[in-house]
Amino acid sequence: MNGNLDSEHQSGAMQVVMIGLGEEKFALDAGLVREIIDPVPVTKVAGARAFVPSVINVRGNVIPLADLRIRFGMPQLDDSADTRIVVIELDFDGEPVLVGLTADKVYEVTEIAQTDVQQTPRVGMHWKPEFIRFIAKWREEFVIVPNMERILN
Amino acid sequence: MSAMDPTEVFRQEASELFEVLEGALLDLGQRPDDRELVDSAFRALHTIKGSGAMFGFDKVASFTHEFETAFDRVRKGEIKPTQELISVALAAKDYIRALIEDPQSTDDIIGEAILDDLKRFVSADRSDAPVVEIAEAASLAPAGSKQAGWHLYLEFESHILRNGSNPLDLLEDLCKLGPCFVVPVTDGVPFLDEMEPEDCYLKWDVKLHAACDKDAIDDVFMFVQDELKLTLSPLEHVEPPAPAPLFQLLDEEPGPMAETPVPPVELPAAPVADQPVAKSEPKSEPRPEPKPEAKREERGIATVRVQAERLDELMDRVGELVIAQARLTQLAASGSDLSIKMIAEEIERLASSLRDTTIGARMVPIGSLFGRFRRLVHDLSRDLSKPVEFVTTGEDTELDKTMIECLADPLVHLIRNAIDHGIEDTATRAANGKAEQGRIELAAVHSGAQVLVTVKDNGGGLNTARIRAKAEEQGLIAAGAVLTDHEIHQFLFHPGFSTAQTISALSGRGVGMDVVKRTIENMRGTIDLSTRPGQGTTVTLRLPLTLAIIEGLLIRVGEGRYIIPLSAVEECVELTAEDERSRGRNFLNVRGNLVPFLRLREIMSSSGSPDKHQKTIIISTGESRVGLVADQIIGNHQTVIKSLSKLHSDVTIFSGATILGDGTAALILDVAQLVSLAQSKVEKQHINEAA
Repeated sequence: MNGNLDSEHQSGAMQVVMIGLGEEKFALDAGLVREIIDPVPVTKVAGARAFVPSVINVRGNVIPLADLRIRFGMPQLDDSADTRIVVIELDFDGEPVLVGLTADKVYEVTEIAQTDVQQTPRVGMHWKPEFIRFIAKWREEFVIVPNMERILN
Repeated sequence: MSAMDPTEVFRQEASELFEVLEGALLDLGQRPDDRELVDSAFRALHTIKGSGAMFGFDKVASFTHEFETAFDRVRKGEIKPTQELISVALAAKDYIRALIEDPQSTDDIIGEAILDDLKRFVSADRSDAPVVEIAEAASLAPAGSKQAGWHLYLEFESHILRNGSNPLDLLEDLCKLGPCFVVPVTDGVPFLDEMEPEDCYLKWDVKLHAACDKDAIDDVFMFVQDELKLTLSPLEHVEPPAPAPLFQLLDEEPGPMAETPVPPVELPAAPVADQPVAKSEPKSEPRPEPKPEAKREERGIATVRVQAERLDELMDRVGELVIAQARLTQLAASGSDLSIKMIAEEIERLASSLRDTTIGARMVPIGSLFGRFRRLVHDLSRDLSKPVEFVTTGEDTELDKTMIECLADPLVHLIRNAIDHGIEDTATRAANGKAEQGRIELAAVHSGAQVLVTVKDNGGGLNTARIRAKAEEQGLIAAGAVLTDHEIHQFLFHPGFSTAQTISALSGRGVGMDVVKRTIENMRGTIDLSTRPGQGTTVTLRLPLTLAIIEGLLIRVGEGRYIIPLSAVEECVELTAEDERSRGRNFLNVRGNLVPFLRLREIMSSSGSPDKHQKTIIISTGESRVGLVADQIIGNHQTVIKSLSKLHSDVTIFSGATILGDGTAALILDVAQLVSLAQSKVEKQHINEAA
């Protein structure tokens, strides 16, 4: 499914799920997203890397819960009424892996047009450029389309 | 997806048949006189030929046909299966396999060469053939008897069935005297409306290919003498008796039958006799009864092929069911509704048996793996001219299917090493007063929640001095360092470490051992070497039953709950106030033994303050006993193991996770890793202190 995403975004629209982390908005490929769930109790994994600090039970599967806020150096907010877990499926070494992402807010499923896509600027960012696939414009705002494989590896 | 590729089905089926064929051939090497083995090899061949032709593998069919023809002489007992013949037969089997699996890689010339070899062995032995025949005949008939058999014509009184005699039983008894060729004679069968259901209308024409006494035949019919008209005449000039069971002659091989003069009524007779009256049906079936049973046994247990992923999925679902059931039980226990409690109990029982069945479905006896090595040993032993006896025990030890697959490569390495380097050559063995034939034992046994797989040879053992010298040479240890033998042997697992003075094409001890170790460790198992100079080496693989559901001890450390595999737990004790306060010494006194302990709160970096009465769970791992200090011991827990994802593959102290009754995930402690982590921490600390 995610194999043809690049072609999709070249040919025009790309379906994304818009999520909020701290003050920033991120656009996740809708093709990656399996489900969006309410927060569940988390289990801390001692000794794990900081950006995957815990695991959760999603309908019988124990999956890692990643925190992009840590990866992007953002402050961690306490869970609020808006907090959700976005379950995405990624491909690691040819194997599909389910990962949960904590999102401070999930906005909507929307489309970004190709014309809205901007090159990642080389300066003016305190995030690692390899974490970012590209930046797109959505409703007069810049949103980041993250490269999930890189972020979680 | 739903329509499976028929050739794929054939390939799968063929690969099972190859296993049967190979097993039978190898067994035949040891028990050349076992007719059963020849037959089972022949049957496998025959099926491969038949289905090969059906699925368009014409080359397979024609080659197998040739193979079958050559091998037929063995089946007829005309030649003995010699070691050479079996080697060629194995090569032929490999060739057929290649024809099926990778036709491009094969060459007709190879096939022809194999067939030539096969024919040569088969015909070279022709001179032996009479000897065998005579030996066989002698076992059946008194020496000197020229009688080749008897021709019997049986005509029972029509009321024989009413007396409770069954002609078929008598025929069966007759067949026990020797190979029989039975043809029912249906002249006397009347039309349906004239037929008396309790009368016997059939007559039998029997050719008995056994040179037994007339008395023996009379004995068979002793009790029906008055009701039987028996015409007995000696058989002259008949084909040598085919040793194969009768049903095979009738089923598969019209050839030999054609040679015996047969009344034209022969085959159509059976159905005609079948139809008139249902009750007389058994009479119309002149073949010996054992046939269906024999066939059933050959097929073994009926199997269904299921994709492994589906089983994984099933296991996941069952795991979820068990978890949901635990919640239901919890809920039912808290209420007072008796009927809900009953249902909860019922579901608990069902869920647990469903769980056991599902786990069972994934388990495969390790024998399926062991079987593959017999060929390896056979070939290696021939190539290296080291006679080796290969003994396997515990074939029925069951392991998860995926584990078995992972085990194959490490075991190949270990067995190769054992033959190539473990077992000495014949001369050395003789010089050391050992039996010429080496011995390799492959054993599997359940030990608690672990499976131990051992490869044991009775060869020369490890050369500790040489390993040490090599380690020094490679700069792995300083010259003169004090090391135990056990520590020295660990260098064998070092990548690229080989002490073999000449590296053979097969193996250099050490090459591949690092791979073995890595594979086993990836399965969260351990590998252990023990050796006795001059007496051999034993490699023990300890493997966990990872996939299965384990019995666990649920504990609480701070806010977190963890599972300790119950198999590792020895006892639980309370940490005394004195031990609790101590920071410098982390030792417990357990009935006079010093047991070090680890504070899980520190390892898990728990927040909050510890519980007042800390508990210590004493676990044993390898030879060491270690206490784990927790806040609370909650109790037994049926643990469905879920592996941690790749994102957590760097976390070694947990072997997996499970889901508790309330739906939260809990981590399963890997006690061995936990202890070694703690040990390395202590060592680092010591180094730091020393610096």
